Amino acid sequence: MIDPKNNIDEVLDIALNDGRIALIAKNINADQATQIVDAAGMYVAPGLIDIHSRLGYTLPDGYTFRVGVTTIVDAGDSDYESFANFKKQVIDKSATRVLAFINIKGGDYKGGANEKGTGDKVASESSKLAMSNKDIVGFKVDFTGPDWTPVDRGVEAGNLANMPIMLDGGRNHPYPSLKDLFTKHMRPGDIYTHTYTIIEDINARDMIVDQQSNLIKPSFLEAQKRGIIFDVGHGSAFRYSNAIPAMKAGFLPNTISTDLSSGSTNAFMKDMMNVMSKFLTMGMSLKEVVKASTWSPAKAIKREELGHLSPGATADLVVFSLREGKFGFYETAGFKMTGNKKFECEMTIKGGRIVYDLNGIATPLNNFFREGNQFRW
Amino acid sequence: MKLKKFFAAVILLIIVLPCYYNDTFAQEIDILLKGGQLIDPKNNIDAKMDVGITNGKISQVASDISATRAKKVVDVRGMFISPGLIDIHVHVFAGTNLKQQYMDGPNSLPPDGFTFRSGVTTVVDAGSSGWKTFPLFKKNIIDQSKTRVLAFLNIVGDGMGEHQQDRNDMDPKMAAMFAKYYKNDIVGFKVAHFGGPQSIPVDSAVAAGNLANVPVMVDWRGLPPENSLEDLLMKHLRPGDILTHNFHAGKGAGATAAMYKEALVDASGKVKPYVFRAQQRGIVMDVGHGGNGFVFSQAIPAIKQGLIPNSISSDLHIGNMNAGMKDMSNIMSKFLNMGISLKDVIKLSTWNPAVYIKRTELGHLSVGAEADIAVFKVRTGNFGFIDSHGGTIKGTQKLETELTLRAGKIEWDLNGISNMGWNNN
Repeated sequence: MIDPKNNIDEVLDIALNDGRIALIAKNINADQATQIVDAAGMYVAPGLIDIHSRLGYTLPDGYTFRVGVTTIVDAGDSDYESFANFKKQVIDKSATRVLAFINIKGGDYKGGANEKGTGDKVASESSKLAMSNKDIVGFKVDFTGPDWTPVDRGVEAGNLANMPIMLDGGRNHPYPSLKDLFTKHMRPGDIYTHTYTIIEDINARDMIVDQQSNLIKPSFLEAQKRGIIFDVGHGSAFRYSNAIPAMKAGFLPNTISTDLSSGSTNAFMKDMMNVMSKFLTMGMSLKEVVKASTWSPAKAIKREELGHLSPGATADLVVFSLREGKFGFYETAGFKMTGNKKFECEMTIKGGRIVYDLNGIATPLNNFFREGNQFRW
Repeated sequence: MKLKKFFAAVILLIIVLPCYYNDTFAQEIDILLKGGQLIDPKNNIDAKMDVGITNGKISQVASDISATRAKKVVDVRGMFISPGLIDIHVHVFAGTNLKQQYMDGPNSLPPDGFTFRSGVTTVVDAGSSGWKTFPLFKKNIIDQSKTRVLAFLNIVGDGMGEHQQDRNDMDPKMAAMFAKYYKNDIVGFKVAHFGGPQSIPVDSAVAAGNLANVPVMVDWRGLPPENSLEDLLMKHLRPGDILTHNFHAGKGAGATAAMYKEALVDASGKVKPYVFRAQQRGIVMDVGHGGNGFVFSQAIPAIKQGLIPNSISSDLHIGNMNAGMKDMSNIMSKFLNMGISLKDVIKLSTWNPAVYIKRTELGHLSVGAEADIAVFKVRTGNFGFIDSHGGTIKGTQKLETELTLRAGKIEWDLNGISNMGWNNN
């Protein structure tokens, strides 16, 4: 069992009852259980939390449970005007726990000029909605310039609601100073996503690593020390030429996330476990990778009831194997790393219910069809 | 001595090179799959063959094609090259209309996230739309997807929507007219989930099938018990028509009283004699795994007695994507572990379904065919497989999709075998 919050990394049995974690011990008698999962040789971890998803109105369950994700956070596909519809169409229709950063602008997601977030009502309306709805965990800023006003607007909402913002740095030319952003505009606890992106136009935005010298920029290290959360948000915005030198310099991402969208699920990103496997391959320890995908994101979205396996917590779990072999992991520009370990999701449990079982390791097996009549499966 | 050989080689090169210049340096092949075991059942190939792809089509299949002729070479040694899989039973009319289920509703899935990663390049939506709702399906899904999406049109005009039980909404003439007009997209008709006497939907669908010269696929499970399966297979359906969910558990196995399906294998484990006669007659036995349509307790005795399904399909929808079905490669792995050879499993998932939907330009890798290709590895280890009702088998082999190409474009690359190393910048 790997439970980073509780600093557990050892062989342990875990018992679930009524959708909650009931008991954790060295040896729990199997006679007491109605269903037993043989997880010998496998790892048990808290259900994964992916804090950057961009599926819009596509239902997430087909992309989450098969890779151990039990909670996703939609990163700005809805805003204070469209959130009610997003909740009805997606949050309430999904077996995955879906939370949301609402976009700090008015109107449906359109990108570009519509995302400037400079309307006067946006901070007050967004924060009001966020405080009255438990599914909202913060505010998303998809930055398009020209100055840091949209970020300030998000932070204003964040201060009112006591919630973080997640910033997608986007692009603008000329690009305002990131040092200013990290020291004057973002607060400790705010989230900077797409940490390892390359913007081809060198003047458009500072990158974490200087591509000539391969050295990490001090402003990023200082910002992380100050408490800014650096999130992966893989999508099409992940490059080894940023991630590998940064890791060599001792900089690890605070949270691992996918930026899951229909464009990236078949390409370089694929899914949460593929992204986690990349970080394992780059040299991050298994425990650190699990932490950055469970407890750290739970804290980042201030949902500390999630992301750990303490007795009494909701029973969201993943059982995974580390496959051994020769694997390749490629990124946005087509560059590839080869590794010898890969996460494989064996089982996902959400709220105490088995929602995915790759090889049938439960006894008795779930009758997914019979359950289907109860659970829409 | 060495020097002499070297000069001889140089002289030979100077003489020979110009003759081969075009072949050697033209790089007329866009993508070359090199070193794999090609399984192309239509062309009866099961051999080590290289496959060249040019302008989205198969340009050459030969035992050794020089790498210098290709712009991109993908090393597929130790892997199996197959025609892209054709899944003739899916539900992909995904939509946001919460009043609906499979027709423009949340129970259907957007295809691209579920196809390429398991080697599927063509799907046939099985009756989610009817003639009244097909134009929306075409606009929202068929024209928006990278996967080739075809359709069995529901014999009910509305499709699998709110009105799927409406027996006054089955118009063979209108259905046939749409099938002829959209002949690039519509490959047949579907009887799905209908609760009335079979003569109404099945005979209407067959009438439409006769008018448009296309097959009919029947989901048997909704039909009440007074309709015998023998009559359906021997009298109502024509050779070439398709019975899907063929390894359904049968009567009483469904969770609701409305599901009356008669099973192919009887309580003593024997395949009913008329089932063989029906298959000999040309009725297509299709798997249509789904969330309720496949149990090992039917499939294992049936296969032992020689009842091999004609085609493997998934019945992909929201209710089975994470359950026992999962995806096409998982279902194929089940049949592999039940004793069907890899070559036959691939045949049941490529060339056979292409023939049944009368799309014989698909499902094979003949030179000139569109380059829809799947590359698999057969993993060995200890695997488990689950059916629709909590039954399980253990197995030692499992298909894993390494690469999927659709019309010559790489749409899935599991391990980046078509890509460079990160520091080759």
